[in-house]
Amino acid sequence: MSGQWRVGVDIGGTFTDIVLLGPDGRLAVRKVSSSVDDYARAIVEGLEIALREAGLTAADVSEIRHGATVASNAILERRGAKVGLIGTEGFRDILEIRTLRMPRLYDLAWEKPKPLVPRRLRLTVPERIDATGAVTTPLDLAAAAAAIDHLVGEGVDAIAVAFLNAYANPVHEQAMARLMAERAPGVAACISTDVLPEIREYERTSTTVVNCYVLPIVAAYLKSLKAGLRDQGIAAPVSLMQSSGGLTPADAAARLPVHIIESGPAGGVVGAQALAAPLGEASIVSFDMGGTTAKAALVIDGRAERADELQVGGEAIQASRLLTGQGYSVKTRAIDLAEVGAGGGSIVWIDAGGAMQIGPKSAGASPGPVSYGMGGTEPTITDANLILGYLNPAGLAGGERTLDLAAARAAFKAKVADPLGLSVEDAAFGARRIAVANMMRAIRAVTVERGRDPRSAALFAFGGNGPMFGWDMAAALGMQRVIAPPAPGLFSAFGLLYAEVEHHYGRTLRRVLASADPEEIERAWRSLEDEGSAQLTAEGFKPADQEVRRSASLRYKGQTHELEVDWSGAFDLAARDGLAEAFGVEHARVYGHRAGLAEPVELITLRASGRGLGERAPLAKSTDRKAAAGGGWRPAYFGPETGWLETPILARSDLAEQRIGPFIVEEYDATCLAPPGVSGQLEPVTNAITLRRAKV
Amino acid sequence: MTARPTIADPIAFELFKNALIAIADEMALTITRTTYSGVLKDNMDFSTAFCDGDGRLIAQGLTLPGHLGSLPTALRAAIERFGDSIVDGDVLCLNDPYAGGMHLPDLFVFKPIFHEGVRVAFAATICHHTDVGGRVAGSNAADSTEIYQEGLRIPPSKLFRAGQPNDTLFDMIRANVRLPVLVEADMRAQLAACHIAERQFLEIVADHGVAGTRALIDELIDYSERLTRSAIGGLPDGEWSFEDWIDDDGVDLGKPIRLFVTFRKADDRIEADWTGSNPQVRGAINNTFSYTQAASYCAIRCVLDEDIPTNEGFFRAIDVVAPKGTIANMELPAACAARGLTGFRMIDCALGALAMMRPDKVMAASDGGNTGISIGGWTADRKPFVYVDFTCGAWGARPWADGLEGNANIFSNMASQSVEITEAEHPVEILRYEFLTDRAGAGLYRGGAPFGRDYRIKATTASLQVRADRASFRPYGLYGGAAGHFARNILNPGTAGERPLSPKFTMDVVAGDVLRHELAGPGGWGDPLERPPEAVLEDVRDGFVSIAGALRDYGVVILADSVDAAATAAARAAKAKARGPAPTPFTREAAS
Repeated sequence: MSGQWRVGVDIGGTFTDIVLLGPDGRLAVRKVSSSVDDYARAIVEGLEIALREAGLTAADVSEIRHGATVASNAILERRGAKVGLIGTEGFRDILEIRTLRMPRLYDLAWEKPKPLVPRRLRLTVPERIDATGAVTTPLDLAAAAAAIDHLVGEGVDAIAVAFLNAYANPVHEQAMARLMAERAPGVAACISTDVLPEIREYERTSTTVVNCYVLPIVAAYLKSLKAGLRDQGIAAPVSLMQSSGGLTPADAAARLPVHIIESGPAGGVVGAQALAAPLGEASIVSFDMGGTTAKAALVIDGRAERADELQVGGEAIQASRLLTGQGYSVKTRAIDLAEVGAGGGSIVWIDAGGAMQIGPKSAGASPGPVSYGMGGTEPTITDANLILGYLNPAGLAGGERTLDLAAARAAFKAKVADPLGLSVEDAAFGARRIAVANMMRAIRAVTVERGRDPRSAALFAFGGNGPMFGWDMAAALGMQRVIAPPAPGLFSAFGLLYAEVEHHYGRTLRRVLASADPEEIERAWRSLEDEGSAQLTAEGFKPADQEVRRSASLRYKGQTHELEVDWSGAFDLAARDGLAEAFGVEHARVYGHRAGLAEPVELITLRASGRGLGERAPLAKSTDRKAAAGGGWRPAYFGPETGWLETPILARSDLAEQRIGPFIVEEYDATCLAPPGVSGQLEPVTNAITLRRAKV
Repeated sequence: MTARPTIADPIAFELFKNALIAIADEMALTITRTTYSGVLKDNMDFSTAFCDGDGRLIAQGLTLPGHLGSLPTALRAAIERFGDSIVDGDVLCLNDPYAGGMHLPDLFVFKPIFHEGVRVAFAATICHHTDVGGRVAGSNAADSTEIYQEGLRIPPSKLFRAGQPNDTLFDMIRANVRLPVLVEADMRAQLAACHIAERQFLEIVADHGVAGTRALIDELIDYSERLTRSAIGGLPDGEWSFEDWIDDDGVDLGKPIRLFVTFRKADDRIEADWTGSNPQVRGAINNTFSYTQAASYCAIRCVLDEDIPTNEGFFRAIDVVAPKGTIANMELPAACAARGLTGFRMIDCALGALAMMRPDKVMAASDGGNTGISIGGWTADRKPFVYVDFTCGAWGARPWADGLEGNANIFSNMASQSVEITEAEHPVEILRYEFLTDRAGAGLYRGGAPFGRDYRIKATTASLQVRADRASFRPYGLYGGAAGHFARNILNPGTAGERPLSPKFTMDVVAGDVLRHELAGPGGWGDPLERPPEAVLEDVRDGFVSIAGALRDYGVVILADSVDAAATAAARAAKAKARGPAPTPFTREAAS
């Protein structure tokens, strides 16, 4: 008998967050330390505690949704599988040559990320297919068998196969799949056209290799998780968050783990999207700020904006989107997230030219900010918040740690304020302003730089430091509203509860649209849709609960990059013009102009997505009562013009009535700041705080 | 060291600096987002910047290293030409290397920004356009001998006058370029970037006022100058000269071209003096002075430890000298379309000198920069095709690590084009794209492995043009590292018709012909006999070094996939004796 409680589990490097949501909207949360040696253990044990605390049993759990970092950690820590790669003769080094591009200029010390398959495990075999899909050199089966045997002899865990032009005809790769099943049944095997049947050999090869690299680890992890849950008597199905923001059943994730690499940050964006809708906010910027980084994404009309390529496993922080090559290319649907290295632990310092800088170095969890008293000596943003009176020196309500204000002031004075000739509080206030300017770059990256104006959107602020900076961020960007959800520090786990099952399919079919055969396109599109329906049906979705959509990537002939356009309905002769027109409109939106009607439009890739529409989770009514009680006053500094103000310390529930700032809301896992002139009110349905400019 | 400098309002200053860099970056993103052409999108052959009302550079967005410092030269030419007749709504442009430009494909577009009638800034963009006319498609030919053959020369001109397009100029451009749709679209991208910059900069001026903005600009420039001088001050004082050679200019075949540079460093100033470099040559590889400046600035930046915002202040601490009439500072009518090659080789040359200044920091010679390959002609149905590929990718060994392989040159950061896209769009087939064995210079740290690339012609007939170098001068090794290996061009390898080709040439080819291009192998660093035998074994396992090469180049004996320690010790002792001490600081010739 299945229960009615949904469970969201999000694993971070330090903590595993567990959120339980009952059918009546009752919410229970639990934070436990991550078990780094075996992530599954913390989930199983933490869930057991969370259930007990909430007075529930294993039978009450209806499903478990999981944001897993196991795949991205395997790449970051280079603990993935030993992979062999078989390619086309003459092209042994596609994986290592990449696109040549590097992420830094003028840096003779730049090191490329080491290829996930060393050259000795990259073999080639005689075979060749041309750009039209014609076989020009048949696959040498004897050489292929020898290559497989050699890699097996080398002890590989997985073999990837990526042949040149296979997107145009997968026949040789499919022959390899059969051969591998025969000769190496114990080795995981992936052919590139099963993972990403799209043009561009480096991206396809790299995506296939990354899939192989994480596959054995993800599969073993999911197996261990299921076994652990079973031992606890939990038989509920497990699904995984994908980089796209859609869920996928555990079995599918084990087969194509490449789609769950950016699983972690996606949950928060999906949650923001779900919680903003009942507030009447269809377009929001999600702003997730923690201890070391801040991430932003854009939701327009209830849909998160997507990117179609990720760089994984490189330096986590990308200051500029202009430079690429810091990690491994993975072509997969992903929420378009921008990240900057600014968080509570970011260090405040002065450069050789006398300018104040924030980060990118972070004091991290250890030694942490000066005020933590754990040996940190460099002033941080968290120290600035403490100096300014925004943070409680007695520590957060749920926190076990007190903060040393005197030490924070001393460090700011010696290292920042005195050298710049500022007072300690003005230096701290300035540091926050500069941090805001740095973090604006993440938001600008997903809005202005994508041709979108953020000003009409609301800022949805979460993560341990999100609500502390939300209003300043919004004000700096000309945005009018900030939403701070309940349990902001656990919000990524919470967001998982509102995601839906989603799968994406694509296939390159290069045709000039005006002369393309509509039947061929219709056939290809239908086969992608069928693939999606079959998957959803196998997952138990009835046809009525399946939503399958078409889209296509197109460009003007001669362009090097495509734009994706949605399409609905069958594809016939008339539809050719319609699709070209839809592309023209999108081109004008993105690029600011479109070419004349005579300019040939080229179809590159057909796509389909399938969504399984489940019963929507109810909105959370309240967090558990561990939340802080609030109460009292504290002086807080609001800049040289305003100075120090006695500021009330509130609990979230105190905002049932609108309050005018300044005020500070202290909670179990985060602090929300409303400067003077800002009003705040609790929204009863979602339990979120909305900040606005106060009407005078 | 000087005392800690003071900035009037450090918070306002940092916010201003951030805002300006963000605007310049946003201009760059606008160009990548709105451009059609691969040269801009993939190769990122463009730059964006911001100058003040007097033309001083104050912030640069993405900077193609080859454009470093070119903007002030170009903008100065435009301001000199138009002076006070520049009004709100004007857009200025130019590409003439003899009037502020660099080479004809690089079109500069400037938009003056006015606040209440006062000129407060210029938004600036440079984009490499796919074609600007001239005798060869792509306007890139190495074998033109006069600027007049290279395409449309646009002296400083008004593209817009007070908001009105200059139709005559637009018509002239359209009539003179092979791909007017593409060129216009890319010009639109440049204009869009300037408009975005104008809007955002005026918000800043509204906040700070004209005087306040100017004060912040002065502070920003002074700040960069301080950072630069502080970084230069940390370098050792002295004078270092280096000489290197370009094979030839593709016109006067087999006639080497000398590059010679002297760096003089005292206190917080540094000078790069190219006196002694070759007189200008007939082929199209002559530099404008601004391009020689760019190469000098890039090399110097590589040896500075600090990340410095690029503006006028950075240039103040650096002097570049190049006598007129030389390959480093050309005069009419020298041609320059393919001067990229000279820029790359100037980086090799400058780094050679700087390797003596900073032996701990500088790498051995790279593969010499990118090779340009153009295949053009007409398809069976009389459609023109132009396939242009720029390819490079191996760094010299570094004092602490092997050189990179499969990585863009430090002077360009271009991306490669996908083989599959190439084959889908052009009558060309790529048969091989793979690292070469035993071609990297040996050393305690070895050079990066170069790759070879085979192109098969599928069109009935085509014209094949190649611009390569380092076919007769090896990339140098450093501090005992071996010199690298020659670049090679081969026609129809492995057939009866196989024959070597010169580094630079234009020839007719027919369907089925294969060009094999092999990049030069970069130099090594440190004594190869000191490379740990296990590291050599790893390279043998990965096929970067052969078993024979391990013995020949490193004195390492490998038997049955393991190092024979005793035989290795003996082989190394014998080699050391025969050779004497490892040459230093430079190795230019192959070991005998």
